Amino acid sequence: MYRELAALLRREYLRWVRAPMWIVAGLMMPILYLALFGQAFDLGKLVPPNPQAQAGLSSALLGAPDYFSYFAVGMVGMVAVTSSLFAGTGVIFDKQLGILQRTISTPARRSVIFASSLIFRGFLVVLPIFIVLGLARLLAFIPGFTGLTVVENVGPAGVLEIVVGILAISMAFTSLFLAFGFLFTRVESYFGVVNLLNLPILFTSNALYPAGTSPLWLQHITAYNPISLAVNVMRENFFGASYYAYPAYVYLGGLLAWAAALILLALALGSRALKTK
Amino acid sequence: MDSKHAIMVEDLVKTYPPDVHAVKGISFQVPPGQIFGFLGPNGAGKTTTVSMLTTLLRPTKGRAVVGGIDVAEEPRRVRRAIGLVFQDSTADGELTGRENMEVAAGLFGMSSAECRGRIDELLASMDLKEAAGRRVKGYSGGMKRRLELAVSLVHTPEVLFLDEPTIGLDPQGRAGFWRYISQMRKEQEVTVFMTTHYLDEVENLADRVSIIDHGKIIASGSNDALKERVGGDEIEVRVGKGTPVLTTALSAVPTVREVKREGDLYRVKCPRGEAVLSSLVKACDLPGASIEGIRVLRPSLDRVFLELTGKAYREEGYDEGRAAASSAFHRRRQGGG
Repeated sequence: MYRELAALLRREYLRWVRAPMWIVAGLMMPILYLALFGQAFDLGKLVPPNPQAQAGLSSALLGAPDYFSYFAVGMVGMVAVTSSLFAGTGVIFDKQLGILQRTISTPARRSVIFASSLIFRGFLVVLPIFIVLGLARLLAFIPGFTGLTVVENVGPAGVLEIVVGILAISMAFTSLFLAFGFLFTRVESYFGVVNLLNLPILFTSNALYPAGTSPLWLQHITAYNPISLAVNVMRENFFGASYYAYPAYVYLGGLLAWAAALILLALALGSRALKTK
Repeated sequence: MDSKHAIMVEDLVKTYPPDVHAVKGISFQVPPGQIFGFLGPNGAGKTTTVSMLTTLLRPTKGRAVVGGIDVAEEPRRVRRAIGLVFQDSTADGELTGRENMEVAAGLFGMSSAECRGRIDELLASMDLKEAAGRRVKGYSGGMKRRLELAVSLVHTPEVLFLDEPTIGLDPQGRAGFWRYISQMRKEQEVTVFMTTHYLDEVENLADRVSIIDHGKIIASGSNDALKERVGGDEIEVRVGKGTPVLTTALSAVPTVREVKREGDLYRVKCPRGEAVLSSLVKACDLPGASIEGIRVLRPSLDRVFLELTGKAYREEGYDEGRAAASSAFHRRRQGGG
């Protein structure tokens, strides 16, 4: 079974390394966000320097020492969405080019074919997330730049929560968009739906700006948004628990539930697409 | 186990709800090692049949056994026993020829050590050795077809299915492809099931032929047996102006079955043309009669098809309505969206 999986992963990998623009553009986007938007847009500078206003800012940023630190963690959620947008396109092209038909005419198990897409596409999401987090942290040590400042002492349990959270949010969105790839046969239909979804998903989360400013009904949606849950796990570990209603593992649990549900959705649509009729 | 047949099909039916009857109950057998030609116009049910035999479509009714394995009961075992060349290229254009073959071998559970020799051997016999390291998107149409053939043989299948493998190739490319098939057959023991709508391909290659039209098999047998059904050879005798009517004289020649007159042209049917030529010429030796030309026509599957369906077999555009319905159905089969 692992030979089948290895063969399919190798094909995905070869296609990926032979499209250098894909790699460069995929990694440049989050880096540009960090280097330009993150540096230029400092919410903290809009707040007067008196202690009362500063306390209000700290509360709005849920304990983050500055807006960049808040934003850098939010970038994880943003990258999870933007990097997974293309997750379903490979399946659609494979359908159109007859490659999928060739694959399902072999004795390889359907579950292996599905898993190879999920694993490789998930990898393409996890990779830029770690690059973004690493770069944001690195910027803190470069004079003249603002970087991700970690206030708390993150222990092994915290690191585990953060890594599992990153894997879960990556798998959640990879599965969601992969499901649409299995559903549609045309790229136009696919991107129609994907474009419709990606901004609402992003902007109903607290990834890029504090949720405290939005109306109450929207705050309820924000609380359950998988991106919010993922960034809560990280921010609570990085900046302290005082502004959070629950410990980080509760948010992680919610996030894992999202990931499981979306993987099941992709699995359902995937097994329908890979089934003989 | 039906070990004496490589393929055994009994009353196979495929119906697409609500009422598209693509295959309406067909039966046939293919002995091991033979090339079986499945001939029919576009939309006749050829691809649907191949899809059922290769486990890509589930039969609505009936039974199909390939390599001794029931396609409905153990589809994965069938997939291991068969190779499949699709109508369209299925290779990944971004990968090289060799990489495409390695991926295919991996999907059959072969290790890289196991498949290396086999891949080298197949690339050499398909004349793709030099191109093996190049990406497939730069291959010519003929090279892509040969690669498909090599890919489909990588796991040494018992039965090879070719679904209109030469569609879209120019005549040279078609002839080339069939040369490789003949060569492959000399090198390895494999049963071949091929569908085509080119009559000449079946005539030159197949040991046995079935003709399918509108989802039903209308004739089966060896090439010769099918030709026998239309009455053997036909001799065309063209006579000069002022020749008296020769119908009676020609009909009197032994073994002649039928004589038809179309003006100055007589069509004479008999089992073996050469045997009666001199007798025919003698029969025409009447006052005022002269022969301008004479030729023996071998029976072709084209004529078989005409006799059986009352329609001339046209390679493209036969019964446009059905073909359109069939391609609409194929689009639907790929899923909505």
